Amino acid sequence: MDLILQLLANGISNGSQYALLGIGFGLIFGTTGIVHFAYGPVFAASAYVMWWLIAALGLPFPVAVVLGMAFAAGFGVLAYLVIYEPLVERGSPSFVVLVASLGLFIVIANTLAIVFGTDAKTLPDFSYGIYFLGDVVVTGVQIAQVLVFMAVALALSAFLKYGTWGSAIRAVTDNVDMARIVGIDTRKVAIVVFAIGSMISAIAAANLLVREGASTHIGFFAVFYAFIAVVVGGVGSIRGAAIGGLLLGLVESTGMWKLPTEWQSTIAFLVLFVVMLWRPTGLLRGN
Amino acid sequence: MDYFYHVLVMFCLYAILATSFNVVIGLAGLFALSHAAFYAIGAYTTAILTTAYGVPVFVAMAIGVVLTAAVGAVAALPALRVGGHYLVVVTLALQVIVIDILRNAQGLTGGPDGISGIPRIVLFGQSLSTPGSFLVLAAIVATAIYFALRLLAVSPFGRALRAMRENELAVQSVGKNVVALKLIAFALSAGTAAIAGSLLAHYIAFVSPQSFSIDETILVLAMIILGGTGNLFGAVVGAFILVLLPEILKFLDLPVGTADLMRNAFYGLMLIVILRFRPEGLFPERYRYTLPAEAEQAAGAFQLTPLANFENGAVTLAGENLHKNFGGIVAANGIDIELRAGLVTGLIGPNGAGKTTAFNLLTGFLTPTSGTITLRGRPITDRRPHRIVHSGVARSFQDLKLFRRMSVLDNVLVAFPNQFGDKLHNVYFRPGAVAAQERANIARALEILEFVGLRERASQEADGLSYAEEKLLVIARLLATEAEVLLLDEPLSGLDPNTLARVLPIVRRLAAQGRTVCLIEHNLDVIREVCDVAAYLDGGRVLTIGRPEELMKDPQLLERYIQ
Repeated sequence: MDLILQLLANGISNGSQYALLGIGFGLIFGTTGIVHFAYGPVFAASAYVMWWLIAALGLPFPVAVVLGMAFAAGFGVLAYLVIYEPLVERGSPSFVVLVASLGLFIVIANTLAIVFGTDAKTLPDFSYGIYFLGDVVVTGVQIAQVLVFMAVALALSAFLKYGTWGSAIRAVTDNVDMARIVGIDTRKVAIVVFAIGSMISAIAAANLLVREGASTHIGFFAVFYAFIAVVVGGVGSIRGAAIGGLLLGLVESTGMWKLPTEWQSTIAFLVLFVVMLWRPTGLLRGN
Repeated sequence: MDYFYHVLVMFCLYAILATSFNVVIGLAGLFALSHAAFYAIGAYTTAILTTAYGVPVFVAMAIGVVLTAAVGAVAALPALRVGGHYLVVVTLALQVIVIDILRNAQGLTGGPDGISGIPRIVLFGQSLSTPGSFLVLAAIVATAIYFALRLLAVSPFGRALRAMRENELAVQSVGKNVVALKLIAFALSAGTAAIAGSLLAHYIAFVSPQSFSIDETILVLAMIILGGTGNLFGAVVGAFILVLLPEILKFLDLPVGTADLMRNAFYGLMLIVILRFRPEGLFPERYRYTLPAEAEQAAGAFQLTPLANFENGAVTLAGENLHKNFGGIVAANGIDIELRAGLVTGLIGPNGAGKTTAFNLLTGFLTPTSGTITLRGRPITDRRPHRIVHSGVARSFQDLKLFRRMSVLDNVLVAFPNQFGDKLHNVYFRPGAVAAQERANIARALEILEFVGLRERASQEADGLSYAEEKLLVIARLLATEAEVLLLDEPLSGLDPNTLARVLPIVRRLAAQGRTVCLIEHNLDVIREVCDVAAYLDGGRVLTIGRPEELMKDPQLLERYIQ
């Protein structure tokens, strides 16, 4: 019983991280229809940048996170303006945009490895507490992951509902052509979602940096889990992406109840496979 | 010299991977990212069977190919229901699962260290242990696969794949089974990748998970994009360039780790640059081709195939009390309609009246919530679209749905029923029969194109046609299905008087020869001129049906329609 509770706690914590990555990716994908594979390396790059700011320049953690978010936003918007927009403008099929994003993915990922090396970069002397909830042990990072996710998710929902760009983003997600007809500047909307989505990924990157540091493979798994969270939850729905991410974390974690650790992601992807067969539009249908 | 041979062996293996991947990506337009996983399954199956179980090399390789083809078909299952981006994530997941298994199932796969000591291939008493001797085998296999896949690409089967890539709904509307097309394309491509994998295993006598990462899939993808999607020769050239290029980079004095990273970054950069400036690749897929002279000569005047037993005025296709709800929206609210042989029935009514919904229900593109559809009295309600086409009911689409990146001739050819070459086994085992039928079909397609006035355009790309020509091509494609019941969704709207004067007689002639014709049209003058019967739809049901003149005398109806 204790084990199950412990696994549930771990699942919720990991799931929060996946959900956080999912809502950032889902915002970009749902609004622009672009499968932004480079979301992963942008996430990784901001983790490295934050690490560098803290370890090399000695900036305080919060300052580094804010700068890292700004960096990610700039990088994401640049990717849209330089790579995706020219292709979309030309009316390229979505497959072309997708391959371009894969290209960008490996350019950034390999450049990061050249610049920062292939060893893991961890923060020096960063300590966090360990807490006991009954018999369940949780670390400060795990609690932070859940709280950060909840705060970001609430802020994003509020922004989409009440913010200046919120209604425009929802309109574009709903129906691009109609949004264009009523005079919404879809280009600006795309820039805004790339900025916000990338910033959200940088927040997730800060979580990861504290928990286990930055290394070369984090980018692929970030975008992969985000993509799965979105598809499982239902494209076009932020709530769906959040639920998809949490579910992924829970399934992965409870799978460890009976199976060795190394199989956890295999279990999660098998679940995805079954969900896709059973309900291709996702658990929550996008609006 | 051995080093040079080794590079050529790798070129042969990548040529196999690139051509087979191009079948799925370029021809079928299915965006899957699991090619390296299939490559891996082929390599590991033969590695495990030969080292742990002592299975003879060629038997083990064959088992690997069959097993991988089966896995490929299973991977295609989600693709049957979901397209585009969903397929990407599912195949990506498959790739990750396979690598996870290779790494974690230590007992079976040797884990991260892989499997070594894989026996060499022995041919004619000689062990192929040097790159030079292996190159002969690799070159022969790669060449054989290239020509086998090329044969597929130019066959009616390959044409159906390309048509599916262009428009999945339209390819069903000409009677193709997209489920079968996708399953076969996936299985074939996966099985072929497994051949490359099993060759690799016996060539370097060692397999490990590192050789089959997602980077490999992206590398092969880069080869296709560079060479040209949909062009198998281009894929080979792409493989050649991208295998050779890093070898040249080796002459630069870089640390080993950095060189690999730079090479990968370069592939990525190259992908972006090509897509930006030459998205069709070095060797674009060709849409035009020269017509065989004998087919040109054989083409005579177009004659509709006479119907065996038709009775003028007999009911052919009928829908009874058809309902269709989407969530809360009622698209069809009890449509009753009977179409008769030899008569042209026009459907009129305001937008959203349910006209196109009626077509979708009658042709299996939508399944009715309730109600029955019969063809000559036999129920066909639950049949899938391609089966309904085989039964003799074909439709066109309001938004045309042409196969744009294909020639005009191919647009017609793909629609002929009962093509031997639609079956892959005929392509390989009865090539003569396939070729003979193809010649006859080309002649017949030219007749049809002549009949609608597009003969001059036959060898051009469909994308370059004018609007009127596009609509004529839609009719030509529909004629090629040989269906006895033809449903045309707004075939006449937006046509200039000249083209209209060409199309109207075609419609009348179809009816005169016993075809059942139904068309959606807004122009009442046209309805009066071409239709024998008109049905007025509104609110998802047929309100009135009768002779056009009578219908148009109904003042109430006229008022509702014109307002």
